[in-house]
Amino acid sequence: MEFELPSEHRMTREMVREFCDEEIAPIAQEIEEEHRFPAEIFDALADLDMLGVPISEDYGGLGGDQLLYALVTEELGRVSGSIGLSFAAHVSLASKPIELFGTDAQKERWLTPLAEGEYLGSWALTEPSSGSDASDMDTIAERDDDGYVLNGTKQFITNASVAGSILLKAVTDPGAGYDGISTFIVDPENDDGFSVSTEWEKMGLNASPTCEITFDDCWIPEDRLLGSEGEGWKQTKKTLQGGRVSIAALSTGLAQGAFEAAREYATEREQFGQSISKFDAVRDMIVEMDRKIERSRLLTHKAATMYDDGQDVTRISSMAKLDASETSREVAEDAVQVLGGYGYTTDFAPQRFYRDAKLMEIGEGTSEIQRLVLGRELGL
Amino acid sequence: MKILVTVKEVAEAEDDFDIDGLDIDERYLEFDLNEWDEYAIEEAVQIKEDGDDVEVVSVTIGPERAEETIRMGLAKGVDRAIRVWDDAFADVGMLDPKTKADVLSAVVEDEQPDLVLTGVQAGDDSFGATGVTLAETIDFEWGAVVNALDLDAGAGVASVHRELEGGIEELTDIELPAVLTIQTGINEPRYASLRGIRQAQSKPLDLHELDDLGLEESDLESPLSRTAMYEPESEGDATVFEGSAEETATELASLLRDVGVVEG
Repeated sequence: MEFELPSEHRMTREMVREFCDEEIAPIAQEIEEEHRFPAEIFDALADLDMLGVPISEDYGGLGGDQLLYALVTEELGRVSGSIGLSFAAHVSLASKPIELFGTDAQKERWLTPLAEGEYLGSWALTEPSSGSDASDMDTIAERDDDGYVLNGTKQFITNASVAGSILLKAVTDPGAGYDGISTFIVDPENDDGFSVSTEWEKMGLNASPTCEITFDDCWIPEDRLLGSEGEGWKQTKKTLQGGRVSIAALSTGLAQGAFEAAREYATEREQFGQSISKFDAVRDMIVEMDRKIERSRLLTHKAATMYDDGQDVTRISSMAKLDASETSREVAEDAVQVLGGYGYTTDFAPQRFYRDAKLMEIGEGTSEIQRLVLGRELGL
Repeated sequence: MKILVTVKEVAEAEDDFDIDGLDIDERYLEFDLNEWDEYAIEEAVQIKEDGDDVEVVSVTIGPERAEETIRMGLAKGVDRAIRVWDDAFADVGMLDPKTKADVLSAVVEDEQPDLVLTGVQAGDDSFGATGVTLAETIDFEWGAVVNALDLDAGAGVASVHRELEGGIEELTDIELPAVLTIQTGINEPRYASLRGIRQAQSKPLDLHELDDLGLEESDLESPLSRTAMYEPESEGDATVFEGSAEETATELASLLRDVGVVEG
């Protein structure tokens, strides 16, 4: 049982925190209000080798482990949910599957630019009428000589409008259920028949683009098939296990950001002749925040460590994601309360964490689906 | 060419703190690289990147705790690091600039650098004298408070801008070997990249004890010692004017008149 982070991990966390405080925190609210994807921040993250943390050095990545990746994600979340979300989707959903399931040639062509941060990546599973029941999809890929023709619509796709590649889930064998789904690499710049049909206005996370994308007789060559036909669902489950660790880390970061804002305010704000942190009601809220965050972080680090050890993380990643996402929403809500009227204004960060935290209970498997997964793991 | 950068991990106190004996209670302290040294490291690494065959070595006098701070320098491009420590240092407490210079001069003796860069001062005890004292001790040329540096390695000359009192700048050519004390703002210190942090884990960081440097405990005897630590009473209060420029300017003008700075 080792609770101390290795030196490399501590130093990375320190550096990323410094970068976030200096370069991201000052614009974190502004980019939300402007609904602006901060490309310049992602260029800087690329220069610091952050966009390929858990990807092999052979393909331009850092070769770090899942724990290091979780730490970086948490630090980004601590200052900006939008940047953290676009980052996590890029790494866990858009890059990692190419490393896990791609051929050498596919990795060379599609993984290297992602890991080096030449552009961001995206991943498309959800559809307008297929959310929690994700395998019940309508997007179709039909064989056409030496390629495939794609038709269908994907919904709530993070990064799609700024991505250099999109991993698309589509049905190749309509009668085969789970075994009829395959994954394709789409080039949104150059593939005819692809379009971004909507960019959503959201409750929060507005600096991270969430899109509806449409495929209208979009032809792609056969070397864009990731893995074999029919492996798409198995890949999805494996991908989401890693993805859930990153959403747990991102959630922990959101909670940490909200907690720090509340703690600082409570020690400075005076009412009835003393700082409000001296009142039991406020102190107890802040102590609860600290307790929940510690718990969520421990679960996240355990899930990341088990992932690195090659163990089955179905249960622990699901539990970490469920716990941390609820922590982030609860802590952010209490942080707004601690700041009172000021907490409700956009001059202070807690409201932003509160908006952002809500998505954590929805994306990459709702809390209800996590409970379903956890129940199954218990044989229920 | 070899550049030696002297660095120090300094303590920074929180806004509210308690004093414990002769020091600030450690619970209120955070340890980080001295701000001026960040700029000295960056300057050395830039010289290395612009030149051929330049080695950058950092040296610190500090306990084991300082290693991670030192390693961050390695992550930013320093080639190897030396940490000088011995139980004797812990017993001494405060080191004055001359004692520190004596210790560092033993490292200079070993390393034979062409250029030594130090920060102008350390953020905690703020003597601002170690660099120049070291130069005198090892008989190097020196330039203090350098805010621009143009090095001609071939000719062995550093052309520097020195920041003097009253906004005056002095332009000087200094012959190597030399010690330059580096002022903040001379460059823009970089963030360590993740790859740099990764590589730093396996770069050499060697511990030198007094024996290794040919020094003895008696060499650490300092003529200075700390006798008390207290928070000075603040005298006078700050007045903050709030409002538009017109309003606050009027308020300031009447205050200046009231206190007699402006007559009439």
